[in-house]
Amino acid sequence: MTPSSGRTQHKSRRLSELTPGARGIIRRVSGESRFARRLMELGLVPGTHVELVRRAPMGDPIELLVRGTHFSIRGSEADRIYVDPI
Amino acid sequence: MSTPSEVAEAALPRDPREPLSPRHHTPTGRRRLIAIVGSPNCGKSTLFNKLTGLRQKVANYPGVTVEKKAGLCTLPDGCVVELLDLPGTYSLRPTSPDEVVVRDVLLGVQPDTALPDLTLFVLDATRLERQLYVCLQAIEIGRPVIVVLNMMDTAKEEGLEIDVDLVARVLGTPVAPVSAKTGEGIESLREAMDRDVPPPHPLKHGLPQSVRDAVDRVSAMLPLRGPLTQVSGRHVALALLLDEGEDDPLLRSVPAPVRDKVRRLRNTLDEAVPEWRVHEPIGHYQAIEELIGTVARRTRAPRASARERIDKVLTHRIFGPVLFVALMAVVFQSVFAWAMPIQDLIDSAVSAVGRVIGPILPAGPIRSLVVDGVIAGVGAVVTFVPQIAILFLFIALMEDSGYLARGAFIMDRVMRTFGLSGRAFIPLLSSFACAIPGIMATRTIDNRRDRLTTILIAPFMSCSARLPVYALLIGAFIPNRRVGFLSLAGLILFALYFLGILTAVLVAWTLRRTALKGSRPLYVMELPPYRLPAWRSVLVTVAERAWLFVAKAGTVILAVSIVLWFLASYPKNHRAIQPLEQKLEQARTAGDQAATVSLRNEIAGASLRASFAGQAGRLIEPLIKPLGFDWKIGIALLSSFAAREVMVSTMATVYNLDDAEDNSVSLRSKLRHAKDPVTGKPDYTPLVAVSLMVFFVLACQCMSTVAVVKRETNSWGWPIFMIVMMNSLAWVASFAVFQGGKLLGWG
Repeated sequence: MTPSSGRTQHKSRRLSELTPGARGIIRRVSGESRFARRLMELGLVPGTHVELVRRAPMGDPIELLVRGTHFSIRGSEADRIYVDPI
Repeated sequence: MSTPSEVAEAALPRDPREPLSPRHHTPTGRRRLIAIVGSPNCGKSTLFNKLTGLRQKVANYPGVTVEKKAGLCTLPDGCVVELLDLPGTYSLRPTSPDEVVVRDVLLGVQPDTALPDLTLFVLDATRLERQLYVCLQAIEIGRPVIVVLNMMDTAKEEGLEIDVDLVARVLGTPVAPVSAKTGEGIESLREAMDRDVPPPHPLKHGLPQSVRDAVDRVSAMLPLRGPLTQVSGRHVALALLLDEGEDDPLLRSVPAPVRDKVRRLRNTLDEAVPEWRVHEPIGHYQAIEELIGTVARRTRAPRASARERIDKVLTHRIFGPVLFVALMAVVFQSVFAWAMPIQDLIDSAVSAVGRVIGPILPAGPIRSLVVDGVIAGVGAVVTFVPQIAILFLFIALMEDSGYLARGAFIMDRVMRTFGLSGRAFIPLLSSFACAIPGIMATRTIDNRRDRLTTILIAPFMSCSARLPVYALLIGAFIPNRRVGFLSLAGLILFALYFLGILTAVLVAWTLRRTALKGSRPLYVMELPPYRLPAWRSVLVTVAERAWLFVAKAGTVILAVSIVLWFLASYPKNHRAIQPLEQKLEQARTAGDQAATVSLRNEIAGASLRASFAGQAGRLIEPLIKPLGFDWKIGIALLSSFAAREVMVSTMATVYNLDDAEDNSVSLRSKLRHAKDPVTGKPDYTPLVAVSLMVFFVLACQCMSTVAVVKRETNSWGWPIFMIVMMNSLAWVASFAVFQGGKLLGWG
């Protein structure tokens, strides 16, 4: 939902592309505003550190660690979250 | 830093000698209402159980499938207040029916629920940063709040220090540090609930000017009378701007012109500040980060937690699914087999009660009503209780320990293929034992459409009540042959179970594209830390589910079984029965045991055939003839609405046999050799048996399931839809089997 800022586009990656154990800083959450808003309400606001903890045995969904809380979201949802890997 | 037994006051500490001004009753004389709110997995329900004990009742909020849990709590000075345990929520800007209820109760617009006089906001102290978000929203409402910092003991163990007094000062509310599980701090919390809690001051809002302007304009339009006047106008204004739903209590509580203006303002905002919706979370999380920075301190770095070590195994690529399947096998086995001896015990207790009470009553219709109608009906209700209790024992243990979410995490990919979520797995598996506890277990599924789909396909899983029917028909008609190394009987049994699963998958797929279509919900599930379940809470859950079933579904089941008893007993055909009764009397005086038994069975058969049920069996014969069923099967089908396995004993009665359970061998041979009196052809062929079994796989003929679906969906629409859908499918499938089989010359 945050306006797409072209400057972060080239080095940002989709959250779903991180490897398990990798961390990143959220740059933006794209897609329908209702969904973006709910993801942000769960703490995934731009600037937040996020860790992709693991993938489920069949590769999807994935487990995230955000602000001390573990969440599982589906890969299609993680596709909309852009992060700068650390 | 205060000790966990004290409640930090927002303002100056109160002098304990100062006289309290308890307002246990509102000016209108109603009991004070205290709402408990918090994120999922914050220990809210444990706290609720601790405060209320067993003095709680569960109902539904009107018109929705959200459960209303209320209880009574005695405060230290002996006064009683009402406690309301609201569903766990991640935000007061709702995206699900549960969350709509939470918002509307807190704003005082929920029909049938008063505006709470006080809110207990429960936070898991170990995960403050995430959970404070809703807490800030709740404080903004401007009604009295006590913030309950739960799991303080765990926080301390994890090396987390929280300055409780500082939290109270920053939030402007009293803060009560507790451990709901051990009970630490609960007494102080009770005392705090006794005191007058002033409404908190509004927090500073990080909203941009344009949004603030819109909020102020909506707020100025709000009606000066009615429920919304006691809460913050700005909070309501933002709630209205963000409420893009069609119809909910909040929207209904403001006049239509206001709603229209809100919609126009929202459109203006959408054009001017496209991302205005996300400013609230961004602003709140900034405030939360500042707050956490000042109030919380780690005394030591978090060590590689037990959680990580457990998750490495439980969600491991290979061990994870293997352990999950093993655990499910144990659950299934328990619901299926462990409940059996208890159910047998209940069965014999019920018939013992019948034997004791029967002779006391005068012979005739009253005795028959009490023994065959009421006592048998109560028995039908009670036999489900062991299965429900065992399943919910496992579910409560898995949910409270944190494993349930891992199971859903592992199964989600598979279940998504069928348009369901990972959480649908346990309810569907349990439905192989019995759909009743299975359907009740769907309340762990938070998405409404997912949950309804799961409820509607659960009865397709072949439950244990179908097994006696399959056994009878396979035993009577399927030749004892081998196919490769498998027996034909076993193969057919497998095919029947598979048919149920396949149909369920197809129905789920279809429903998600038709009746239950809708934008795919955001799937977000918290994976809570592992915790040892609190036994008390687990047992309360088990008792509550069992009691709900008996009280809500049980009454419907009892009523229907009395109706079924009436239909199977009346009218009496005296002309046919009287001579038989005379003969029975003679046989009894002559001491002829064999003749007594066979005459008694003959009388039972004659009465049933003459009854309304018997007539109805004939009446529906044209409808079921194309499936290969005659009127005798018709009677059995109708009576199996009481419970599927009743079909076996009804067939026995129709054929003048004694209780089929001891005699299924004679029933089998009777069925095999039954001939049409006119044509002399056999009544039943293997093809009829297969058609009948297919019918039993797919048909909805269990009143208990219907009663439970009614209770769980809070409507009659869905159970009626289910009856029509399942029975049409059953008819079509049996028709195809029977007619197709005849064409192929198998009849």
